[in-house]
Amino acid sequence: MTGTPEQRPFFGPILAFPVTFWLLLTFAAPFAVLTLLSLHEYPDPFGPVLQAPSTAQFTAIFGDEFLVRVIIETLLLGAGVTALTVVLGYPLALWLVRLPLKWRPLAFAVILIPLLTNVVVRSLGIVLLLAPDGLINQALGLVGIPPFRQMLYTHGAVALALAQVFMPFMVLALYDVLQGTSPRVHEAAESLGASRIVRVFLVDLPLSLPGLRAGIIIVFLMASTAYVSATLLGGKKVWTTGMLVWQEALQNLNAPMAAALSLVMTVASTLFALAVIWITRHLTPWRSASPSGFRRLPGWIICLLDLFGPTIGKLLLMCSLLLLLLPLVLVVIQSFNDVPQATVAGFRAFTLKWYERVLFGGAYAASFWISVQLAAATAVVAISLALPAAFALARHRFPGLTGLSAFWTLPLSLPHVAIGVGMLKLLQVFTAIPSFLGMLAVHVVLVLPFSITLLQASVEQLDKAQEDAAASLGASAPWRFFLIVMPGLAPGLLAASIMSFLISFGEVTVTSFLTTARMTTLPVRIYAEASFSLEPTVHAVSAILIVGTVILLMMLNQLVRLDRLYAR
Amino acid sequence: MTITRRQTGRLLLGAGLAAPLHFTRTAHAQPKAGDELVVGIWGGAQERIVREHVEKALLAKYPGVKISYVLGGTPERRARAYAERGRPSFDLIYLNIFESRQAVKDGVTQAPTDAVPQFANLYDVAKLGGYGVAFNPVTIVYDKRKASKPVTSWQDLWNPEWRGRIAWPSYPGAQGTAGLLMAAKIFGGSENAIDIGFRKIRELKPFAAIQGSQDQLYGMFDQGVADISVEFGSFTRSYAESRNPNIEIANPVEGQAIAMNVACITVGTRNQKLAEEWVNLHLSAPCMLAYAQQIYYSPTVKNLSIPAELQPKLVLGPDVAQLVDFDWDVVIRNQPAWTSRFNREIAG
Repeated sequence: MTGTPEQRPFFGPILAFPVTFWLLLTFAAPFAVLTLLSLHEYPDPFGPVLQAPSTAQFTAIFGDEFLVRVIIETLLLGAGVTALTVVLGYPLALWLVRLPLKWRPLAFAVILIPLLTNVVVRSLGIVLLLAPDGLINQALGLVGIPPFRQMLYTHGAVALALAQVFMPFMVLALYDVLQGTSPRVHEAAESLGASRIVRVFLVDLPLSLPGLRAGIIIVFLMASTAYVSATLLGGKKVWTTGMLVWQEALQNLNAPMAAALSLVMTVASTLFALAVIWITRHLTPWRSASPSGFRRLPGWIICLLDLFGPTIGKLLLMCSLLLLLLPLVLVVIQSFNDVPQATVAGFRAFTLKWYERVLFGGAYAASFWISVQLAAATAVVAISLALPAAFALARHRFPGLTGLSAFWTLPLSLPHVAIGVGMLKLLQVFTAIPSFLGMLAVHVVLVLPFSITLLQASVEQLDKAQEDAAASLGASAPWRFFLIVMPGLAPGLLAASIMSFLISFGEVTVTSFLTTARMTTLPVRIYAEASFSLEPTVHAVSAILIVGTVILLMMLNQLVRLDRLYAR
Repeated sequence: MTITRRQTGRLLLGAGLAAPLHFTRTAHAQPKAGDELVVGIWGGAQERIVREHVEKALLAKYPGVKISYVLGGTPERRARAYAERGRPSFDLIYLNIFESRQAVKDGVTQAPTDAVPQFANLYDVAKLGGYGVAFNPVTIVYDKRKASKPVTSWQDLWNPEWRGRIAWPSYPGAQGTAGLLMAAKIFGGSENAIDIGFRKIRELKPFAAIQGSQDQLYGMFDQGVADISVEFGSFTRSYAESRNPNIEIANPVEGQAIAMNVACITVGTRNQKLAEEWVNLHLSAPCMLAYAQQIYYSPTVKNLSIPAELQPKLVLGPDVAQLVDFDWDVVIRNQPAWTSRFNREIAG
């Protein structure tokens, strides 16, 4: 990592090569199949992939008021979820960086709870919250407010559910850049008379824009392809394109329509991502060494902020913590509940049989280990591919890199069902590869957009002066990389690894197309059970995962610093 | 899916490829140690029952063979079997009634034959599109506290007392399909005259919700979101018995709508004999009884004695003749168009 881009023009392309190569090898083929399918005139499950191209599917989409409406509503839902995640996630991230170091592993675990619990469990939590006799209405009843009966099966309910599960991504994206802000900057702001709340808006917020950008892109892309939560909490009154893609691809065996719908959504959401990148670049002129216009908040806004800011901040923090902890409470109660189905609301009798089935039932334990191995391997491969890419994006830009980075995030903007449909046509090739390697290849593809986006923000936040100091003291490039850069990146690497691990560990949509008899991952097993009726074993699995995560994070905390060296 | 002329040609070709199986059947090699049977099935209780009552017996008969399960939902399993037509990684897949008949037509799975001894004892309706292994009919289920009188007819769904309290099942899917077809039928339509069905369902709006699965529906009952729906009677009985005694499973005079789990041997399997043995064991008494006792799925074979206390909870003998069946070719052919209409007129 030496020299400026001008001195080493070939450095950027070299850094960008590994990830591009991997994606070309494993993702380009299913994506090409998907594109070809979208150009089919009519569905033919047994026909060749290559046919005379036709725009029939696209004409059908844009000529159909219902489909256009669903596309627009999905994009709006994505935007709403993103906004909600920012509002709820930002106070949480601020809280996290202010926590004493010894409490952070526990706090991290709290933030990761939604990712560690099954989607059905999380949805149940939201249902219990919003139901006519649910928690909110009961609380309102205590203060004499009549119940709202129409909260479930609305866009709001879906948005809340999605915000809950995507909040970890936003918080982790913000965590690294927020705690990377030197305390000296805060002191400077204080000495200029800024209160804590004003500082958040005028100092922390602008400096955390790279992290915010990462979080916004990730959350928006995930929210606009979501379909399971939308199905469970939208009660088919809410439609998303993800649901339509699933329906067309699987229930109607209409792959061309599914492919065309996915591509339309991909184009729309990629445009959104590029817009976000463009806007943040303009909002952070100091990164490209251009002068930043002097910003000043009007006095009355500062007054309002000082007056209400802290209270609102605390309220938001409480809301997000409650939202995160809700599934935990459910999991703890339900995993000991002696009922036949996981979605029961009331406690009937105490039992340990669900734990027994998970830990000693054989099938669950085997699936669990497969998932752990797969997720660990995925995280290692994805991080080693993403790190060079992140350096290319942050430090060694070259012409064409923006386009290339859009290609890197493509797997995130495609509904996973669509990737599955593309893979189906390549099943012959896929089954020729050892199943672990095949799954690994696909999981890495799905994880890469996250790890690149998160790591890019971390690399941008590195203090270049430290490297320069080391260089002036005679440290060679490899030494500087291992002694200065890597420790500085430790929190970012940790966040990206946790994310990669958990995404791979929880992936079910693509995996359920590719699963073989020897490779049944845990989520596939749970999903298969849910296709009949979900049993409380799923709660026991979540409980074990949460406890495991807390222990693992505490151990990690002993080995790796969860904050940057100069932050204290 | 709509069958085009081009597809018809392929279907005929598929049928032609499948046909010789009848003549070569006796030539199938006997299973030997090391053979692996790959079974695609639902998880949870169903996986446990076949592991216990089919796999063990099969291994006892053919020591050294291996059984592997690919777990998942029907849509993924079917999509994959279609993608692998003729060179399947599955030897046997479980499908629902209409998917199984279409799969035979599409040359993906085999029609049933008497190479499976229990084939002779199957009800006729269970002999189409594979081997029916369990009846799981769809009916009206409701909260009896909210009913002024017991529900005895599909017409009762249109009783004003349920207005705004109905969780209509989403289409396509076994329950939604049954709901739509029954609505058409009782108001003088049929699968060939579906319009009346859509119009009558639209009259029921606004719905309390649209339900997408039995688990989701039970949650709605638990939470007081909805009071009546169209659902599998079998598992709803487990739910009613274990959690919510207020839920009643109706037996409408017009009959319950047929739904069935079907075991389908793939075209091109290399373990024909083993797959047939598997199906025969699934259709034998221990497995049929386990299904009936544990999840109230009704047997599809006639030569079975059912314990007296279990009989009223199942669909047996004359009740099987009462099950309402449909022309599934028409239903499958129209599914995309009906899906599109349902999304716009009923769910949207």
